Amino acid sequence: MSFWSFLGVVIPIDLLQGLSVTGRFLFKKKATIRYPEVKRTPSPRFRGMFGFAEERCIVCHNCAKACPIKIIHIEEHFEELEIDGKKKKKKVLDRYDIDVKRCMFCGLCEEACPTTPVSIWLTTKTYETAAYERNERLYFTKERLRNWDGVVPFPGVVSPGNGMLPEEPGGAPEHKEGA
Amino acid sequence: MDNVWIAYLLVPFVKILIILLAVILIAAYMSFAERRIVAFMQIRLGPNRVWPRGWLQPIADALKLLVKEDIVPARAEKFIYMLAPALMIIPSLVVFSVIPFAPATTLFGVFKQPIEPYLADLNVGVLFVLGVSSVGIYGVILGGWSSNNKFSLMGALRSAAQLISYEVPMGLAVVAVLLMSGTLSLVGIIEAQRSQGVWYIFPGIVAFFLYLACGVAETNRNPFDLPEAESELVAGYHTEYSGMKFAFYFLAEYANMTVISCMITVLFFGGWLPPFPNWLAAAWSSPALAWIPPFAWFAVKVAFFLFCYIWFRGTFPRYRFDQLMHLGWKVFIPVSLANVMVVALLVLLVGGGK
Amino acid sequence: MAPEVTRPFDDSEEMEISFGPQHPATHGVLRLMVKLDGERIIEAKPIIGYLHRGTEKIFETLTYNQAIPHTDRMDYTAAATNNQALVGAVERLMGITIPPRAAYIRIMLAEMQRIASHTIWLATHALDIGAMTPYFYAFEEREKILDLYEAYCGARLTLNCMRVGGQPFDLPDGWTHRLRQFIDQFPHRVAEWEKLLTNNRIWKLRTVGVGVISAPDAIEWGLTGPPLRGSGVRWDVRKALPYDRYDEVAFDIPTGTHGDTYDRYLVRMEEFRQSVRILRQCLDRLPDGPVMAKVPKVIKPPKGEVYHSVEGPKGELGFYVVSDGSAIPYRLRVRPASFINLQALPALVRGHLVADLVAIIGTLDIVLGEIDR
Repeated sequence: MSFWSFLGVVIPIDLLQGLSVTGRFLFKKKATIRYPEVKRTPSPRFRGMFGFAEERCIVCHNCAKACPIKIIHIEEHFEELEIDGKKKKKKVLDRYDIDVKRCMFCGLCEEACPTTPVSIWLTTKTYETAAYERNERLYFTKERLRNWDGVVPFPGVVSPGNGMLPEEPGGAPEHKEGA
Repeated sequence: MDNVWIAYLLVPFVKILIILLAVILIAAYMSFAERRIVAFMQIRLGPNRVWPRGWLQPIADALKLLVKEDIVPARAEKFIYMLAPALMIIPSLVVFSVIPFAPATTLFGVFKQPIEPYLADLNVGVLFVLGVSSVGIYGVILGGWSSNNKFSLMGALRSAAQLISYEVPMGLAVVAVLLMSGTLSLVGIIEAQRSQGVWYIFPGIVAFFLYLACGVAETNRNPFDLPEAESELVAGYHTEYSGMKFAFYFLAEYANMTVISCMITVLFFGGWLPPFPNWLAAAWSSPALAWIPPFAWFAVKVAFFLFCYIWFRGTFPRYRFDQLMHLGWKVFIPVSLANVMVVALLVLLVGGGK
Repeated sequence: MAPEVTRPFDDSEEMEISFGPQHPATHGVLRLMVKLDGERIIEAKPIIGYLHRGTEKIFETLTYNQAIPHTDRMDYTAAATNNQALVGAVERLMGITIPPRAAYIRIMLAEMQRIASHTIWLATHALDIGAMTPYFYAFEEREKILDLYEAYCGARLTLNCMRVGGQPFDLPDGWTHRLRQFIDQFPHRVAEWEKLLTNNRIWKLRTVGVGVISAPDAIEWGLTGPPLRGSGVRWDVRKALPYDRYDEVAFDIPTGTHGDTYDRYLVRMEEFRQSVRILRQCLDRLPDGPVMAKVPKVIKPPKGEVYHSVEGPKGELGFYVVSDGSAIPYRLRVRPASFINLQALPALVRGHLVADLVAIIGTLDIVLGEIDR
C-alpha cells in the first residue's frame, strides 16, 4: 500500500477526527431543559388535556361518534324551559364523561364539534395530569372537567371553569376549517 | 527520623491511610466525572441534582449499594464468590504503594526532614506494577466461574483472554522505556528523564501509543469493552453480583484506570517534572512559578489521561472479540517488538541510560 | 451456505439460546432463537407477536378517518408515512385528487419523517455497535423535527396529521421559516456524524462485510427500502410509482454496491441529504390554495379494492383496502415493510458471530410495532 495510506493506518487520523467532534461538543450549549424548574412551552396547537365548555355544548353527540375508542359518554334529557316567553324543549346535559386514561389525544373530537368556538378542545398546553389512582382519578366527569380537579395547568393557562377559550386552529372562531 | 517507631511504623501507616482514602475517593469520583463528562459530550447535563449540583452523587451511589440486598446465587461457590471481588480490588490498591507522586518534600517546612510522599521505592518498581496488576485477572475468572451462570463464565473467560493477551505488548512497550532509562525503579525513571532532559514520549512515541491502547484494553474500557457491554448476548463476569461486591468491581475498574494513567505519566511524561525541565529551568525557578508543587504537575497529567479514557468511551464504537484478539496478537506484538529494536538502536547511537 | 459445524465429540450439539424478548438490542419485543456453534451462528429464528394489538381487526370497526390515529401506532417511529399510505389508498379508491398545496405539505411531512426515522436508526445502530454519542446528536436533530410537527398538528409522535382528501389544517405562521432554518443547518450535522463514524476504522471493521445479501437474493426475499438499495437495486416507490406529486420534485436514489451493513449505512446517510434536497424544493415551490379537497362529511368509498404503497423510511409500506361501499372498511390489510425485511434475517446472519447479530438487526431497521401490528 502507498506510504500515505500506511501513515493513515499508523497515525489514527480517523480516530482523532472522531475525538475532535466529541471534544467540540464538550463546550457547546447543552440541550437539557431543567424540568420542573424550567418547562418547555408547547406550541399553540399542542393536543393536551381537555377543555370543555358546557354552556356552548349543543349535545349533538358528534364528538362521541368521532372518537375512535369511544371514551366520551354523554347523557341528556329534555326539559321544557321558558325562553323569551315561549315554551321550548331544550336538551340538558346530564353526563359528559371522558375516560382520560384511555384517551389517545388524537383530536378527532375537537374536529367534529360544530359550535363556534368549539365546546370540546385539546389545545390547552396542559399535560401534567398524572395521578396515583388510575381508575378514579383519570375518569373526568363534567364537574371535574370544569374545575380541572387533579390537573396541573400549564403556567399561564386558566382552567375551563375560569373562562379559558380554545386556541386555533380548530377552536378559535376565525380559524375554523371545514372538515 | 530518630525514633524508629515513628520512622518505620507511624509514617508508613499514615501514608497507607492517605493513599487508600485518596484512591477510593478518586475511584468513586471518577464514576461521577465519567457520567458528567460523557454527558457533556452528548449535549446533556449529567447528574446535577444531589446537593450541591451533583457532587454528592458518588456518596449517594455508595450508600445505595451498601444498603442493597446482598444476593448470593443458590448454587454458587460461596467462598470463592465472596473472594473474587476482593481478589480484583486488592491488587489495584496494592499497586499504588510504588507509584511516586512527588519528590521528597518538607511540605513547606512542616516536617523537620524531607519525607517521600510515596510509600516505597522498589528498585523493581515497574516489574512490581506489571506483576501485581496481573493478579487482578484471578478476580475476573473466579468471579465469572463462581456465579454458576454459563454466560458469566463465558464473559469472564473472554475478559481474561483479553487481559492476558494485552499484557504482552504492554510489557514490550515498557521495555522501550527501560532501555532509555536504564532502571526499573519508578523514581529512577523520573530522575533519568530529568537528568537526560527529555520526556520519554518524544523518542518513544510508538511505545506511548502502544501502552495507551494496551492500557485501555487492560482495564476493559471502550473501545475494548466487549466483555461488559449490555447489548451483547453474553453477560459480563459481574452479572450476578449486587451490592457492595459489585461496588468493588466497579471501584477496581476505576482504580485500574488510575493506575494506568499514573504509569503513563511516570513512564512517558516525566511524572512530577514540570514541562521541559532543562530548557525552561530558569522559568521554573523564578519566584512567579517556583511555588507550584511537583505534585500538582503529577495530578494534572494523571487527570488529563483519565479524561482521555472518558473521551474514548464517549467516542468510539467497540471492537468485536475476534478483531480485538487479532489486534492484540497480530498487530501490537510485532509493532512493539520492532519498536524495541528501533529504540535499542537509538540508545546505542545516542547513548542512553546505564 | 451453512458453515462447517465443528463437533468435537459425537454427541455434542449446538447451543440454542433465546435472545429476548426483553433485550436492549432488539429494537422492540423481538425474540430470536439462536443456534450457536461456539461463537458462530448456525441459525437464528425470529419469533414475533409480542406486540400484536389486533390493529387490522380494529380497522374493521372504525371509519377511515378514525383509523388514521391507529396507523400512527404501527410504525411508531414514522407516523406521517403511515398516515400517508392509508389516506393515499382511500383517495385512490375514491378517485379524489388532493389540491397541490396539500400534496406539497404531505411531501414535506413525509420527508421530515424520513429524516426523523433515520435519526432513530443511526442512534440505535451506533449504540448497539458501541458508539454512544451519535445517539444524542441524532436525537437532538430529531427534537427539532418533532417541534416542527408539534407546531403543525399538535402532536410529536402519533401525528394524525392527514385526512382523506387533503390536510386537516394549513401551515401555521412562521413554520416554513423554521423548517428552512432547520434544513440549512442539518447537512452540517450529518457531516459531523459522518466524521464520527464513516471513516472510523473500528466502525468499518464492524460493518464492512457483515450481513451481505446480493441483489437477486434481496429481490427474492422481497426486501424493500435501504436493505434493497444497499444491494444495488434501484427501486424506490417514489420514483417507480409516484404518488402525491413526487414526480414534480427532483431527487436521486442512493444505492450501494456490496450489500453489506456499511453500504446500507451509507445509503441511509445519503438519504438524509436527498430528503433535505426535496424539502428545499418543496419550500421554494409551495403553492397557495386550499388544503382540503371537496370530500363528503362521511367517507364512503365505492365498492372495490385497491393497493397503494408509499416509500416509508423502513421500506415499502402498503395498504390493501377492500371496501363494501359503507363508511367502514371491509378489510384493511397492511404490507408492513419491517415484517418482510425481518424475514431475511436468518439468511443474513448465518455464519456470522454473535456480536454481528445486533449489527444486522440494526441495519435492517425493524420496528416491532409494524411487524406485529
